[in-house]
Amino acid sequence: MTHSFLSHQGFAALVADLLAANKRVIAPVRASDDPGQVDYMPIQKFEEAVFGLRLPRRSLKEFFLPPTEVLLHYRQTKAGIEIREVPTAAPPQVIFGATPCDAAALEVVDKVMGWDYRDELWFGRREATTIVSFLCTLMDSTCFCTAVGLGPESFRGSDVLLVPVDGGYLAHVITPKGEALLQGHTAEASAAALASAETAQSEARKKVENNLADIPAELSGWLAANFDNPLWKTIALRCHGCGACAAVCPTCHCFDIVDEHDSADSGVRRRNWDSCQTSLFTLHASGHNPRQSQSERFRQRIQHKFSIYPSRFGEILCTGCGRCSRACPGGMDLPNLLGEIVTLAQTEPEVSGQ
Amino acid sequence: MKQLQDLARKLLSDGTVNVVIGYEAGPRGIRPAFITSPEQADKLVFNIHCVQNLATYLNPRRKQITQLGKVAVVVKGCDARAVAGMIREKQVERGNVVILAMRCGGVLESSGTDSELTADTVSVRCAGCTDREPKLFDHILGELPPEPPVNTRRSDQIAALEKMTAVERWNYWTEQLSRCIRCHACREACPMCFCVKCTAEKTQPQWIDPSATPRANRAWQTMRVLHQAGRCVDCLECERACPEHIPLGMLARYVADAVEKRFDYVACEDPSQAAPFGAFSPSDDEEFIR
Repeated sequence: MTHSFLSHQGFAALVADLLAANKRVIAPVRASDDPGQVDYMPIQKFEEAVFGLRLPRRSLKEFFLPPTEVLLHYRQTKAGIEIREVPTAAPPQVIFGATPCDAAALEVVDKVMGWDYRDELWFGRREATTIVSFLCTLMDSTCFCTAVGLGPESFRGSDVLLVPVDGGYLAHVITPKGEALLQGHTAEASAAALASAETAQSEARKKVENNLADIPAELSGWLAANFDNPLWKTIALRCHGCGACAAVCPTCHCFDIVDEHDSADSGVRRRNWDSCQTSLFTLHASGHNPRQSQSERFRQRIQHKFSIYPSRFGEILCTGCGRCSRACPGGMDLPNLLGEIVTLAQTEPEVSGQ
Repeated sequence: MKQLQDLARKLLSDGTVNVVIGYEAGPRGIRPAFITSPEQADKLVFNIHCVQNLATYLNPRRKQITQLGKVAVVVKGCDARAVAGMIREKQVERGNVVILAMRCGGVLESSGTDSELTADTVSVRCAGCTDREPKLFDHILGELPPEPPVNTRRSDQIAALEKMTAVERWNYWTEQLSRCIRCHACREACPMCFCVKCTAEKTQPQWIDPSATPRANRAWQTMRVLHQAGRCVDCLECERACPEHIPLGMLARYVADAVEKRFDYVACEDPSQAAPFGAFSPSDDEEFIR
């Protein structure tokens, strides 16, 4: 890892060069329906991007796992069934202004995408993408990245992390991909720029740390042992099971696969985002549903993120971005609930419901 | 507030109900509350931040709530229309729910940071509200606050849409609905979407493709809003739930206006008045239905 200095002009020139070379560039822009809000979107001009205004409403997930995508085309002929798969190589894209929680989420999800089956579509896009994150200064009271081992200055999943300093940015160049991107656009970082970035980073960290204490490592085991704790009966009463949390979540990655006909003998196989918060997710063909009510479905969300995924892949399936709490129409609040669960785990450490 | 807390405490202590569904201050604004013991009754609040429609929680298939026992629910006038709709359509038995109606002076567009009602912060649904003093209740509480600030945001938008040509309007809605990701959050948060099996989930035949393509999105949202014709109570839970911020409430309003014009019917607080969707009338204008 190295440091360098990227001036404001150098940054604008870098983005302009990429756009001139017809590269796909994604950055935070003002939302089309609400100029006070921000969404990650492909841009055509550097000026469209707005850095440091608001946390983007949706995560980066859709640029790697779109809400719907074609897996293959099929056609039935007299000779049999013709299948045409889609290419798995993706065109190069560069994301500027990612929040460190969104960049880290991609690395967390890589684990399941490359587990028993390597998801070529996911990794095709991952390999074709360079991610330039910004030190996050946009946190609000729903954020808790530091509680899950990350932080507003976290390098995880980013190729470059930019920290605003006098006259431009201090660039933490994290990967060879990041180095290649910045090649020729940066200057040597001064000691003053390094010191100023250091201060900005620790100040940003302090702003999140008070929201939620670190999640203790024992939580995963406690959750596994407390599958039948009475807590689950009351924790999700206000949850509608609408799944808006899963839609905006950077780490929720479940999908459904469907075949859709476009004529009598041809069609496409697609995969679509799905969510464990709906009853259809676990409905068996027999009519039986092992998750009968929202209590069981919300328990699944917590168990999967904070126990099942950690026990299988060694890490929490959550980056503390706070979007689920912001998007919830029922006022469910993940940092608040996690705080309650951790307190319960610490006061009732013994195994219940066995 | 005290009047509401006292009443809730009494209903819970004398065993009239097992749970009072109301509003409480959460860590980040007002949120739905499920009060199950008299000691918790002082948590209940009612103010301009109480945007949620709690009638949604009366859905008989929400097993986590029905297991709590007999319910009292806090409603505003708009929410009372939803309770009436659920009674009318046999989802809720009138005798099984205690309705605690609040006189209302309007609520914010979204519960959060704004601290007062202004023309810009008031919910579009409060414009011209005729149910500020609810008519469907067991108990009616509070003094009638002054009328909410006048706002014409939605009527202006609808007027602008009506001025468009059909092609322009089609393009507008195609663009809006292209953002739909088919998560169906709108349906789950809607008090009037209570079908055991939604048409969107019927697969034999597959009426609507489940993928988020422009064609399927249009089919899904058109189907949903048509099934809401004369039934939508304009509580805007769909819009609050939508993670893509699609103006679903405006689409529903459009259809509600058409129902009012053609059938002289507005979703109301009287459970005995059948909506055109579920009614047969020998005097119907349409010949095919007679």
